[in-house]
Amino acid sequence: MAGLVPPGNPTATLGEEAALAAKKIDEVGKKVDYMNLPCPIPYEELHREALMSLKPELFEGMRFDFTKGLNQKFSLSHSLFMGPTEIPSQSLGTVKIPIAHYEFGANFIDPRLMLFGRVLTDGRLNARLKCDLTDDLTLKANAQLTNEPHMSHAMFNFDYKGKDYRTQLQLGNGSFFGANYIQNVTPHMSLGGEVFWAGQHRKSGIGYAARYETDKMVATGQAASTGMVALSYVQKVSEKVSLATDLMYNYMSRDVTASVGYDYILRQARLRGKIDSSGCASAFLEERLSMGLLFILSAEVKCTMSYKALLPASGTSASSITELFYWCAFTFISHILEMCFYK
Amino acid sequence: MVGMVPPDSTATLGEAAATAKKIDGIGKKIDYLNLPCPVPYEELHREALMSLKPELFEGMRFDFTKGLNQKFSLSHSVFMGPTEIPSQSSEAIKIPTAHYEFGANFIDPKLMLFGRVLTDGRLNARVKCDLTDDLTLKANAQLTSEPHMSHAMFNFDYKGNDYRTQLQLGNGALFGASYIQSVTPQLSLGGEVFWAGQHRKSGIGYAARYETDKMVATGQAASTGMVALSYVQKVSEKVSLATDLMYNYMSRDVTASVGYDYILRQARLRGKIDSTGCASAFLEERLSMGLMFILSAELDHRKKDYKFGFGLTVG
Repeated sequence: MAGLVPPGNPTATLGEEAALAAKKIDEVGKKVDYMNLPCPIPYEELHREALMSLKPELFEGMRFDFTKGLNQKFSLSHSLFMGPTEIPSQSLGTVKIPIAHYEFGANFIDPRLMLFGRVLTDGRLNARLKCDLTDDLTLKANAQLTNEPHMSHAMFNFDYKGKDYRTQLQLGNGSFFGANYIQNVTPHMSLGGEVFWAGQHRKSGIGYAARYETDKMVATGQAASTGMVALSYVQKVSEKVSLATDLMYNYMSRDVTASVGYDYILRQARLRGKIDSSGCASAFLEERLSMGLLFILSAEVKCTMSYKALLPASGTSASSITELFYWCAFTFISHILEMCFYK
Repeated sequence: MVGMVPPDSTATLGEAAATAKKIDGIGKKIDYLNLPCPVPYEELHREALMSLKPELFEGMRFDFTKGLNQKFSLSHSVFMGPTEIPSQSSEAIKIPTAHYEFGANFIDPKLMLFGRVLTDGRLNARVKCDLTDDLTLKANAQLTSEPHMSHAMFNFDYKGNDYRTQLQLGNGALFGASYIQSVTPQLSLGGEVFWAGQHRKSGIGYAARYETDKMVATGQAASTGMVALSYVQKVSEKVSLATDLMYNYMSRDVTASVGYDYILRQARLRGKIDSTGCASAFLEERLSMGLMFILSAELDHRKKDYKFGFGLTVG
C-alpha cells in the first residue's frame, strides 16, 4: 500500500514515508550488517579454488591407490607408484630414470582429532595431526622425516577462529616463526596479512592478501616482500564448468607465469585442463568407472621456446615449431577424450 | 538300415559300403591329393606372436585414420614419450621424444600400397601386388637419413596347391628362399636358406607346424643358433593361452614366456610373463564405434624398468 502513494505526496504520513524509504534502500543495495560478517577462509586456503582447478596432481607412469576402511574412524591405505622420474642432468636436458615405490598409510578421523601417517619404501615418513583443543582453537602439526641429514622438517600451527576473523601462529624447525591474520571486511571481501621469520636462513618477510568472492566468482591477490605476487580469478560459468586463471610474478627475479584453465565436473568424471605461458599444457581426467573405482589419466606437455640438443643417436633436433604442433595435437586429443567420454 | 546287417553274414556290396562308413567313423581316411594350403613361412608363429607380442609402448600414442574413399585412406599418428637411450651404467636412461607420422594406404584386391613418413626422417614403403592368381610380389623399403641404415627387400611368393615357396632379394646382397609343404591336413613342414653377402653369412633353417581347431604348435630351428618353439591353446571362444620358448645354442640364452589372450566383445586383453622377470599387459577397449582406447604396461623387474603407456585410436 505504501507504493500507491506517489512520492512527495504532501498528505503522506510519517509511517508511510519511512516504509517507502526503507523499501527503496533494500531494493537499491542490501544494507550491509557489519556486526554479522561470515568467517573468512583460512589464510593458507586463500587460493583454494584456483589451486584445485589449475594444479591437479600430475604424475608420470602408473599410480595405484587402495584405501581400506577398517572401521568408521580408522582406515589404511596402500599406494603404489611406478614410472620414470626426472633427475637433474647437465648435458642431456631432461633425463628420466624409472623408479618405483610403495607407500603405506594409516588415517584416524574423529570430529575433534585427526591423525594421518604415511611411510614410503624410500625411507620417508609423513605425519599430520589436527586437534580441536576448544571450539575455536585448533592445533595442527606436520612432520616430514627422511633418511638424509638436515632434510627433515616439522611445523606446528595454532589456529584461532574468531567471529569474523582468523589468526594463526606457526612454529617450525630451523627457528621458523610465522603469524597471519585474515578478517572479513564486507560479506564478500576479506583482507589479511602475514609475517614470518626464518632463523636458520636469516630471512624475514611480510605479506598481504585480499580475497573477493561471490556466488559466481572468486578473485584473490597476494603479495609478499620475498618478491612474490600472485593473482587468481575463478569464474563458475555453470554448475558443471568453471574457468580459472592465475598470474604469478616475482619482482626480484622478473619471472612471470600466467596460466588459464578449465574444470569440467560431470556426473561420472572430472576433467581439468590448463595451458601456461611457459608453453606447458596439461590435462587431468578422473573417471568413476563404478562405485569405489576411479580411473585417472594425467598428461603434461612441456615445450620451451628454445632449441633442445638431443643425442646424435636419436637423429633429431626438435624445433620449437614442431613442439608447438605437438601440444596442439595434445589439446586436440584432450577434446577427443572429452567427446568420447561425455556425450 | 545299413548298420543292422551283422558283419559275419553273407556280405553284399552294400555291406562293403557299411564297413567303409565304419572306417570313416574311426579315423577319416586322409586324401593326400587335397591337402590345404599351408600358412606362409614367415607367419609360422602367427598365433603365438599375436598373443604374446603386442606392440607395447611407453608414453602417449594417438592414431587417426581417415578414409577418403573406398580404396584410399590417410593416417596421422602422434607419439610422445620417454625413449631409452643406450647408457653405460646398468640403469635405463630415458629422454622424452615426440614424433608425428603421416601415412597413406591404397588397398585394392590385387594391389596394396602403404607409405609412412616420420618427422625424424624415416620413410617406410610397402607394396603387395598379385601378379597372377598364384604369384605375389611384395616389396618393403625403410629409408632413413643416416647413411648405411636404409634397407629394402623384394619377395616373390608362389602359392601352389598344398605348398608355398618364396624367393627373397634384399639390399646388401641378401638372397633367401623358403619352402613349406602341408604333409597332412594338420602338419606342415618347411625349410629355408639365406645368404647375406655384405655380412658374409649364410644359414639354413627348418620349421614344423601342427594345428588343429583347438591348438597350434610350431617349432623352428636355424643354423644361426636359434631354436624357437611355441604352443597356443584355444581354451574357449574368448580365451586362449600361449607359451613360447626361444633358445640360442650359440650364446646359451634361454627365454620362456607364458601368456593369455582374452578376446571379449568390447575389449581385448593380452598379458604375458617371462622367464627374465618381465611382466606385461596390453588392453584395447572399444569405447564407441571407431574409437579405441589402449593401455600398455611392461614391468621389467630385473632391470627395474617400468613402462606405461596410453593411447587412443580413431578410425
